[in-house]
Amino acid sequence: MSEAPLHLDRLQRGFVTGSVAINVASRGAQGVPSIARAYGCRVSADGAEVALYLPLAFSGNVVADVRGGAPVAAVFTRPATHETLQLKGRRAELGAAGVAERKRMRAYARRFREELAAFGLDERFLSGIVAPVELEAVVLCFTPVAAFNQTPGPEAGTPLRAKG
Amino acid sequence: MTLGLRDIRACFEGAIPSAIATVAADGTPNVAYLSQVHYVDEAHVALTFQFFNSTRRNILENPRAVVQVVDPVSAAHYRLQMEYLRTETEGPLFEKMKAKLAGIASHTGMSKVFRLRGSDVYRVLDVFSVGGACAAPAPPRQQLLPGLRACLAGLVGCPDLGRLFDLTLLGLQRHCEIAHAMLLMHDCERDCLYTVASHGYAASGIGSEIRMGEGIIGVAARERTPIRIGYAAQEYLYSRAMRERFQHSRDGAALETEIPFPGLRDSGSQLAVPLVHVDRLRGVLFVESPQEMRFTYEDEDALMVLAAQLTLTMELLSQGADQSEDARRVAPVAPRLQGRPLTLKHFAVDHSVFIDNDYLIKGVAGAILRKLVRDYLDNGRSEFTNRELRLDPELGLPDFSENLEARLILLQRRLAERCHSLGLEKTGRGRFRLRVERPLRLEDVPRR
Repeated sequence: MSEAPLHLDRLQRGFVTGSVAINVASRGAQGVPSIARAYGCRVSADGAEVALYLPLAFSGNVVADVRGGAPVAAVFTRPATHETLQLKGRRAELGAAGVAERKRMRAYARRFREELAAFGLDERFLSGIVAPVELEAVVLCFTPVAAFNQTPGPEAGTPLRAKG
Repeated sequence: MTLGLRDIRACFEGAIPSAIATVAADGTPNVAYLSQVHYVDEAHVALTFQFFNSTRRNILENPRAVVQVVDPVSAAHYRLQMEYLRTETEGPLFEKMKAKLAGIASHTGMSKVFRLRGSDVYRVLDVFSVGGACAAPAPPRQQLLPGLRACLAGLVGCPDLGRLFDLTLLGLQRHCEIAHAMLLMHDCERDCLYTVASHGYAASGIGSEIRMGEGIIGVAARERTPIRIGYAAQEYLYSRAMRERFQHSRDGAALETEIPFPGLRDSGSQLAVPLVHVDRLRGVLFVESPQEMRFTYEDEDALMVLAAQLTLTMELLSQGADQSEDARRVAPVAPRLQGRPLTLKHFAVDHSVFIDNDYLIKGVAGAILRKLVRDYLDNGRSEFTNRELRLDPELGLPDFSENLEARLILLQRRLAERCHSLGLEKTGRGRFRLRVERPLRLEDVPRR
C-alpha cells in the first residue's frame, strides 16, 4: 500500500458523505480484526482527509486498535444501488466529537433513515439503526492511500486510481 | 448474559446486509459487505464464496474474521469473532446456501452476478451484543409451538394414509397460518417425486411430478435437507414452461408432464422439508407464501418436527396395509350396468390411461388401474387387496408398501377429479373396491 494520499474526487466525496451505510475496520497486534459502524463522514476540501463519527460504546476494539497505531479500512455502501467503495489508511487519529460533529451525525441519521424508509422497513428498526448518534462519540480521521470499487460483481475489488 | 448463535438467528435471515472484517498477511485490514451469513449450528456459521476477493484471500492467509450482523426488527447489532475452517463445494449446506443466494440475487436484480462457488464454514469463537445492550429478541410472529402441538394432535389415530396427508395440510392452515402446502412422495424406481396431496391451490395438481434436484423440492429431496428461501428465485420456481422444456429433453417422456404442478405463480417464500425414515427418502413436505421472508428458522424447526412425526405415522399405517383377508372369497358379483360405456385406453409403453380420450394417469398407477379393470371385466371382481397387487408379477411393484398405498391414493384422487363414474373406495385396512357406475370397455394398446 502506497504512502501517497489519494485525493477523493468530487463524485467520491459526494458518495461517502451521502446516504450510505459506513463500517470501519482495524486490527489488533495479533492480527485479530475489529469492526464498528460509523454514523456520518466528512471529507476535507482537498479530498485528502476523511473523518468518521463513531459512538464510543458501539465501537468495540476499533478505537483501541487505532490507538495502538493499526491501519484502518472503511467501507461505504448505498442501500438503494449497492454501489460500494472501500478506503484504506495507514493509520488514523482519534479526537473528541464536539457540537459541530454531533450536528453532522444527526443530519446523517436523518438522511440515512430516509434512504432506508424507502425499503419499507418499519419504524422500530429505523429508530434503532440511527439511535447511537445520540451517544458520546469520537472522530476517527485518516488519510486514504487506496480506494477500491466494491460494488458486487466481477469488477468488485478493482483499485481506483489516485487523482493526485 | 451470554449470547448464543440461536438467540440471534433472525439476524441471519438476510434482510439486513452484514459486514465482515479480515486482515491480510501484511496486517492490512479489509472490510466488506456480505450477502448471506448462514446459521449452521450453535458453533458454526457459513459465508458464501462467490468471488476471489480480498476477504477470500485474507482468510486463507489469516483465518480470523469478525462479522457484524443486524437484527431486522430491533436494529440491534451483534459481532461474531470467528475463525475460518473449510470450504464446502457440494452437499446439503452448499445446496441450501445456493438456493438462498439465488433468491437474494433475483430479489436484488443480480442473478447474473451471484454464483456460489463454495460455502466457507467458520467456527464462532464469541458473540457480542454491540454497545452491551441486550435488546430483548423480537416476539415470534405467531405462537409456533402451540400451533405445532395442535397440528400433531390432529394426526393421532388417523385411520389411513390419505386422511393423514389431508389432515397434515389442513392442520398447517388451521394452526400454523400456512395456507399453501403440498405433499410429494418419492418414487424410488424412477427417482422422482409425485404430488399426492395439496392445499390452497386453484387446481390440486395431484399426480404432477418433480425430478430430483429440480427446484427447491427436488434439491431438498436429493440432499435430504430442508431448503428455505425468503425471496423465491425465478430459477427455483416451477412453471409450465420449465416442464415443457423437459418434455423435449432425454427423459421428458418418463416424467409426468400432462398434470400441471400446482405451485403459486407469484411465490414469495418457500420451504421444502424432506420426509426421511431410517436414511430412506419418503417424500417432501412443501409450503409457500406470496409474502417474502415469510418463513423463519423457527418455521423450519417446526416443520422438521412435523415431518418426522408424519413420516413415522406413514410407516406405522403402511406396516398394517398388507395384512388383510383375501378379497377373492368375499367378492360380490358385479351388477349389470346401464348407460353409454366408458372407454379406457391403456398404452403399454408407459402405462398411460385415457378415459374417453381424456388423459388420466400413467406409470404404476396406470398399470394398477388397467389390472383392476381387466379383472373386473374378465372375472366380475370389484373387491381387491393391496397384497394381491403387490404380489402381481405383471405390476412388478417395489417392496416398500407405503409406495403402493401412496399410488392408490394418487389413483383414487385422479379418478375423483376426472371421472365420476369410476372410483376407488377403501373398504378396510389393505382392502378397497373398484366402484363402477357405467359399463366399461378396455382397449389395450401394446408396446410397438
